[in-house]
Amino acid sequence: MIETPVAADEQDRALIRRYLAGQRDAAIGLVDRYQKRLFNVALRMLGNVEDAEDVTQTVFLNAFLKLRTYDPRYRFFSWIYRMTVNESLNTLKRRKGTVTLEAGPPVPAPGATADRTTEAQDLVGRALMRLKPDDRAVVVLKHFASFSYEEIAEVMEIPVRTVKSRLFTARDRLRLALRERGEQAC
Amino acid sequence: MLNRDQIDLIHREIDGANTPEERSAFRALMEQNTEASELAAELRDVARLCDLVEERAPPPHLRRTILDALPQPALSSTESGGMTPRDVLRWFMLHLRLGAERMEEAIMTRKVMLIGGAVVAIVIVVAGVVTGFPPGSREAGTIGGVEKAARYQGRPMTEADVTIENPEIATLLQNDEIRRLVQSDLFRQVMASEAFRQALANDGFRQALATDAFRQTLASDAFREALATDAFRQALATDAFRQALATDAFRQAVATDAFREALASDAFREALATDAFREALSSDAFRQAMSSDAFRQALSSDAFRQALSSDAFRQALAGDAFREALASDAFRQALVGDAFREALASDAFREVLATDAFREAVASDAFRQALVSDAFRQALVSDAFRQALAIDAFRQALSTDAFRQALSSDAFRQAVSSDAFRQALSIDAFRQALSTDAFREALATDAFRQALSTDAFRQALATDAFRQALSNDAFREALANDAFRQLLSSDAFRSLAPSEALSQSFMREAERVAQ
Repeated sequence: MIETPVAADEQDRALIRRYLAGQRDAAIGLVDRYQKRLFNVALRMLGNVEDAEDVTQTVFLNAFLKLRTYDPRYRFFSWIYRMTVNESLNTLKRRKGTVTLEAGPPVPAPGATADRTTEAQDLVGRALMRLKPDDRAVVVLKHFASFSYEEIAEVMEIPVRTVKSRLFTARDRLRLALRERGEQAC
Repeated sequence: MLNRDQIDLIHREIDGANTPEERSAFRALMEQNTEASELAAELRDVARLCDLVEERAPPPHLRRTILDALPQPALSSTESGGMTPRDVLRWFMLHLRLGAERMEEAIMTRKVMLIGGAVVAIVIVVAGVVTGFPPGSREAGTIGGVEKAARYQGRPMTEADVTIENPEIATLLQNDEIRRLVQSDLFRQVMASEAFRQALANDGFRQALATDAFRQTLASDAFREALATDAFRQALATDAFRQALATDAFRQAVATDAFREALASDAFREALATDAFREALSSDAFRQAMSSDAFRQALSSDAFRQALSSDAFRQALAGDAFREALASDAFRQALVGDAFREALASDAFREVLATDAFREAVASDAFRQALVSDAFRQALVSDAFRQALAIDAFRQALSTDAFRQALSSDAFRQAVSSDAFRQALSIDAFRQALSTDAFREALATDAFRQALSTDAFRQALATDAFRQALSNDAFREALANDAFRQLLSSDAFRSLAPSEALSQSFMREAERVAQ
């Protein structure tokens, strides 16, 4: 069954309440709900599995340390995704522009050929790294986290029109980067 | 050339965000404009390419590593499999970096960080805690990079300081002791604790670290167990506790077996986490008390520790008078007495401790001497007695042996618990009587105390005439006389005592006879 945003938010809040009441399994619930999604956002932002792993750990640790100060007026997902984007941006700053691409072998997608998936992963990964970090964040949230304009605006704390403007510009740059490599046809 | 609106229309179509009207406009644009249809096709390819990139499964150990790092008790060891030494080192570095960042946020107003010092502190403390070795000169040599890292103190933090590539940290982490250290559950718990990191950043804590006594304590099982509890870590996070750590008296106390035994008890740790206890810690009197054998002996008793877990006792601890009392030998001797500790186990007594009357009383030497006697402590549990404590005359009376002996008798305590006696206590005449030797001597006799325990006598006490008689020298001299006291305890006397008129007649006659 597909979880609606409202239902998802309710479930997050329930888990937070239980965690703050001392129930350890609630932490496991939150980690299980977000671990994969946050890791993938960080991976697309950083292009490196180990850095993505570090960012995911850091985000969860910070989130749980600050959970008592979390303002329930805001949705948990936007809070934790924002931390992931910000931590990824901080990691990129610390890296001082050094670009590292995926080190580990790509995982074939079910139903797709290994070659096609590998090629897409490599192409998109390299093209994403050519975008400015802020533009990359918008593309990642749109195409890899499947967020709406409004949700991206909530996560990044910018107006919806800025989201659109940044996304459209970034996607066009992505298109040009891919075209330069002459590999759009994949 | 496409205008901005047309480009936006195409992007929104790719994102599925167009309204029905905009979709119609998009279709029309595609039919009419080749450049637009080419752009739309290329953007669709970009989107399709992105769709081809599958979500990647996180590394299998990531979930475990995250859960281990959370500020919660660790999961059972059966759940902790799958972490390689490299994972542990990564975890360590993550915490080191987070710890450094937090300390930077918390205590540094500018971007200057004693990262080398922080590394040394963390390693020394945690090494001491986990491996149990006090880090003297030999061990500092053994762990190699620690001494070298000290040269980083006082210069700005750089990226190299918090990456695993840092040669000093890398050397440090190659050491077997440190590796064992970072692989322990306790290390993870401690490093995940905000309170512990705050403590590390505190001067008092670091001063404490420099003392042998504190390091010995760090190496004790009790301290390690205490560190694993939220209550103790909360205490560590408070200024009062850390300031206390900076004093010799407290550190001496901390280094004693009694303190460590106390640390092993939940009640004591809960007490440490309370405001009242921490307020107490911030007073010199309390810290001096902690350095005394008597107090530490008290700390090692269950009754005292249970008392520490009660609000009333902690409120008492927060009072200046009580803490000053703690500085007196007499009071501390009282604390170690079984009767006092038994009394501490009773709610009633702990409530007494929290009363102003008691705290005022505690400030007097006489009272503290009285506390040393079992009889007195037994009496302390009655309401009447506690109310009486608020009266100066009563407290003065308490300082005499005769009165305290009287306290040991049931009869007197019953008398004390009567309304009549309490009313009498509020009368000057009676209190004057209490302060006379004759009355107190009378109190020391069975006959008088039996008289006191009767309703008739207590009713007599409620009469003005009788109390006036009590304030009369002749009457009090008479009290020193066996025959008179026997008279007081006789049925005949008791029968006339309830009658105001008869009492007055009797008293007049008694006075006359006495004269």
